[in-house]
Amino acid sequence: MILEIKQLNKSFSNKQVLHDVSFTITSGKAMGFLGRNGAGKTTTIRALMDVFKADSGQFILDGKPFVPTDYRVGYLPEERGLYAKEKILDQLIYFSMLRGATKKEAKISAEYWIERFGLTFAKNAKLETLSKGNQQKIQIAQSLLNDPEILILDEPFSGLDPVNSQVLKDVIVESIAKGKLVIFSSHQMNYVEEFCDEIALIENGEIVLNGNLNEIKKEMGNRRLRLAAVGMSADQLKELLLSKITDIGIEHDSHSLIIELLNEKTKHKLLQDCLNCGIDIDLFSGYEPSLNDIFVKKVGAENA
Amino acid sequence: MRNTVKVFMFELKSILHKKSVMITTLVMCAFFLIATSVPTIMTLFDSKSDTPTETPAVDIGNSGFFLSADSFSETELAAYFGPDMKMFDSEVSLREAVVSGTIDSGFVIQNPTSYKSIVKNKEMYSVSAQMVSSVMQKINTDRNLLAAGIDPAKVDKASIVNITVNEEILGKDANQSFLISYILMFAVYMLVIMYGSFVSTSVAREKDSRTMEILITSTKPSALIVGKVLANGCAGLIQFGVIITAGFIGYFANSANYPTFIQDMLFGGLSLDAIFIFLIFTASGYLLYLFIYASLGSLVSKVEDVGSSVTPVTLLFMVAYLIASLGLNMPNSLMLRIGSFVPFTAILAMPIRYFLTSVPLIELLISLALMIATTWLLAVLSIRIYRLGSLSYGNKLSFVKAIKLLLKEKKV
Repeated sequence: MILEIKQLNKSFSNKQVLHDVSFTITSGKAMGFLGRNGAGKTTTIRALMDVFKADSGQFILDGKPFVPTDYRVGYLPEERGLYAKEKILDQLIYFSMLRGATKKEAKISAEYWIERFGLTFAKNAKLETLSKGNQQKIQIAQSLLNDPEILILDEPFSGLDPVNSQVLKDVIVESIAKGKLVIFSSHQMNYVEEFCDEIALIENGEIVLNGNLNEIKKEMGNRRLRLAAVGMSADQLKELLLSKITDIGIEHDSHSLIIELLNEKTKHKLLQDCLNCGIDIDLFSGYEPSLNDIFVKKVGAENA
Repeated sequence: MRNTVKVFMFELKSILHKKSVMITTLVMCAFFLIATSVPTIMTLFDSKSDTPTETPAVDIGNSGFFLSADSFSETELAAYFGPDMKMFDSEVSLREAVVSGTIDSGFVIQNPTSYKSIVKNKEMYSVSAQMVSSVMQKINTDRNLLAAGIDPAKVDKASIVNITVNEEILGKDANQSFLISYILMFAVYMLVIMYGSFVSTSVAREKDSRTMEILITSTKPSALIVGKVLANGCAGLIQFGVIITAGFIGYFANSANYPTFIQDMLFGGLSLDAIFIFLIFTASGYLLYLFIYASLGSLVSKVEDVGSSVTPVTLLFMVAYLIASLGLNMPNSLMLRIGSFVPFTAILAMPIRYFLTSVPLIELLISLALMIATTWLLAVLSIRIYRLGSLSYGNKLSFVKAIKLLLKEKKV
């Protein structure tokens, strides 16, 4: 399945919050929809789920307009909420049945996910009696009921501890491996980096970066190198390089300096220059930006 | 439709499992069982006094008298109030007895045609003073008759003429249907107010707890609101059905001890057609109000704002109740006739009119058609308001503003 979001625009009270948002989600690939708080992720997802209508734009699934109710869609809204005073199993069965399952199927599905998230002990307890983290797991479980073909998760990792984040990551990876169409939004880059195949980065309602994460990393790491020296701090090394070597740009992160090769400068020439300057090289390698680096670079360090 | 049934079943189970509903039902059942047993309980107390006592012609209760010298003799008064009437030797001692509470009221007979009544607190329906006035009038009349040479006993005898009335009621007897009309009207009032509040709170809670977004992406809003309204409506009918059954059980177990006139007032005017009219108007009016309550519940973001949001519709229903209550005493009034056609008031007004008077079939049909059409219209409107209100968090939307937004949306 291929879901295309095309030229999406949406305004609230005369303020435009989405500007021609377009990107594509392919089944079997993990799509991370990334952006800061308030960038427009939830508005895009709500419009996709037909919670409200977009002012203009289209959602096309395999060439046809996408109608959420025509498919088995698992949806985790950003604003979590379930019935506080109802038993967990009862309400999961209810949600499953509303989405078309028979009572028997609903029970099997609900019990499976309760067990998967390690909450069998609480299946007959009222939701309000559970800890916040466990309530969060039940909310995620509701989105996974009925074996959805399409999984739309808005900020699924927020509020989860590392152990439960891992459980959720496993579930997402498993769904992707089964060939499902999965999109999840996040503002926590480190949580999603390891299993994002594709990313769409939204800022102020506009898509500022979109594509395959490895290609983006390769492109952004092109003609960049990591450099560190024995017995010199990053600042000392930077000062030395700027005074002795030309045609380079210098940045740094917590690990090392990041040297950008400018003009006709080559890797070999830079290595030669460093040796000529008497630098005792500790690290000289290719540079691949992290998702966080990409995010910061695109959105701006001051905003991240 | 299938999802409406699913919502209905889930909501109904949820309401009937509420502790507050269970406790209220049990308490009300116990109350009705006890209340309907009151005549039997009273009989038990009455049967204890087996020894016959001589009762005076006029029972003045716990009152005392002081007679001034030029009024009546004690014997003259005792002929009416009995030999045990309490006499005082001065106005001061009579007043003290009233103040201390020994007697409830005191009468100072100043002369044959005037007296002073002394009471500590005047009750609304005290009849003692009227009795004293009547007795004094009788003594004076007898004195005047004797002075004219006429035997008062003969006049008394000549005054006794019994008139036999044969009443033929071609329509309905308002006396017979009054009590049952009042009871049913009050029951419907309680039903709408209670379950209206339940349904609006239930919708607002889903919005407050943010469950609504999952619900509206899982099924159609019409299934959600119709299922919810029907479930609340049904829960109300079940609860009231159980309470009324308890009342019936209590009544039939004790019916032998009920005076005939009360039995007539309860069931004299109750016929199958009256029950049918009552049920059909109550059911559609009840749904009409529940749809309004549900849509108002979806306009607020927090459960605590529900009260202020539903106030206008509660006031509207109170007007309906007021018209019906006034109509109980004036069943042929223009106000009740008009009220029985307006869908918002017809829920109470038409059954009351039907119980107490004869209503032409065509009027019943017109009123019912108006009511059903309005209920349907409000159901459609409430689904749209629910959908509109379901995601507008923040400031509460007013009903009028919501309708304006809907119209604007339609134009676009």
